[in-house]
Formats: sequence, C-alpha cells, structure tokens
Amino acid sequence: MATERTVSATWQGSLLEGAGTIHKAGSGAFGPLAVSWASRAESPDGKTSPEELIAAAHASCFSMALASGLAKAGTPADRLDTSATVTFQPGEGITRVALTVRGAVPGIDAAGFAAQAEQAKAGCPVSRALAAVPEITLHAELV
Amino acid sequence: MPRIVRKAEVAWEGSTARGSGVASAASSGAFTLPVTLASRIDQPDGKTSPEELLAAAHASCFTMSLGSELARAGTPPERIDVLCTITMDEVEGRGHQIIHSAIDASGVVPGCDAAAFAQAAEAADAGCPFSALIKASATVSVIANLEEGG
Repeated sequence: MATERTVSATWQGSLLEGAGTIHKAGSGAFGPLAVSWASRAESPDGKTSPEELIAAAHASCFSMALASGLAKAGTPADRLDTSATVTFQPGEGITRVALTVRGAVPGIDAAGFAAQAEQAKAGCPVSRALAAVPEITLHAELV
Repeated sequence: MPRIVRKAEVAWEGSTARGSGVASAASSGAFTLPVTLASRIDQPDGKTSPEELLAAAHASCFTMSLGSELARAGTPPERIDVLCTITMDEVEGRGHQIIHSAIDASGVVPGCDAAAFAQAAEAADAGCPFSALIKASATVSVIANLEEGG
C-alpha cells in the first residue's frame, strides 16, 4: 500500500534577506519551523534546513531498517543511537552523508552487527532514494 | 562558499514493529520528534516519518531554488508557497521505495507572467539539490501556478 506524506512551505522576500516557514506537517508532529538562507548556509541559529531534515529522514529510516534486520536475524536490538551528517557543497549539491550507529544488541558480535548495518544502509528506502550522493559512509559499533 | 554540514540524531528502542524512535535536530536544536513504523506506513497519529521529513526538506529546498531562479530572471518574488507530497510504495521484488515527489508551487511575483513562472519552476527543479538527488529512485513532478496580485 502506498503511503503519502505532505508538507508545505512558504518563502517571502529574496533568498539572502527573506525568510521561509515550513508549515505544520500533515501528521501534526512538527511545524511551523523557520528556515532562512543564513541558517542554511552559515550558522543554524536555532533554525532547521533542508539538509538537517534530510539527515533526520535518513537516520530514522536507517534505524528502522537496522532494527528490522537485527530482529529477523534473531538478535533484536535493545537500543540503536544513529546519527546522520549531511554535507552540502553550494554549487555541487549534497556530496556526503555520514551515518554512525551505536547499538545495544544482546547476542551479536561486532562483525554481525557491522554486516546488519551495511544491509540497512544499502536497503533502506531513503538510502536508495539518495543513491546519487557521491559518498555515503557508515560507522557501526556495539556498546 | 564553504561547505555546509548538518546533523540529526535518532535514538531507537526495541523492534521495528513495536519499538519507537526519537529524531532530533542535532545542528539547530529546532525539533525533537517521535517516529514509529506504524506512523510511517499507517496513520501518522501525530508522529512524523522519514517520508514526511523528506517532504519538508524538498518543500523548503524548492522554495529557495525557485526564489533564486525568479530573482535571476529579474522578477524577485514577494511570496512563494510550495506543497510537497512524497509517496513511498512497495515495488515488486524491491520492497519499499520512495517513488514520487509531487511539487505544487504557487507564487506572487510582480512582473512575471505564467509562462515565465512555469519556466522558473522547471529551472528550480533542475537546480534544487534535493530534486536532483532523489531521482535515483523517484520521479519528481512540478505544477506551477502564478497567483493574482503579482
């Protein structure tokens, strides 16, 4: 079954001096969120940006895929702490996503965890949507 | 221009089906959001999902690209509104995939006509970093409507 998620945004004024708003999301989970070019390209100053939202999407998608893979392998995770860091080079685009995951997973060894993490990185829907990113790195460790 | 780096974190506890996660904006601190599988593939129930976060990313990225294109054409916008809908579906033999992003853009743009607005929207789709990226697995459609009052 297809799932759809909708969000709208408004921009007023010029790119450099204007400001944008991401309106309340369809789920109601967030918004309104302020965005601006300065907060995107320079210091965040409490405002989110497309790159930070992509990082949140990728980290959450990867976490679900990894939790699913670990459960299927008979070693469900107690807890996974994932971060995604998105690098954007103006003029080039998004050049890198760095995923790191620290897992508390009873009954698995480091090699098994690393293999599951690689599978999640390769297979999660956001990873596949972002397959054109030149570099997606992964660091996985057990805690 | 120096590179831009933004980070987000997710803490997930338990299984995919019954567990839950919290996604937080590590760079800006702008949000801390619950995510679950049920809210991702069934009813949102007040929780976000990777696809909703991508929709927010695409909508905000596209507004900036479109504003930039209109300014370059000599008709800076007063206001741009962009609605983005991301669709994920099961694809035969390939599991769940993000298959489509639908952009619906409207704007109040003094001195711009409908054809020029549509052209700027096409250029924004070509230039928006996010539009370029997700074409690895998804199609992107763009509808552009110029509003009265421009």
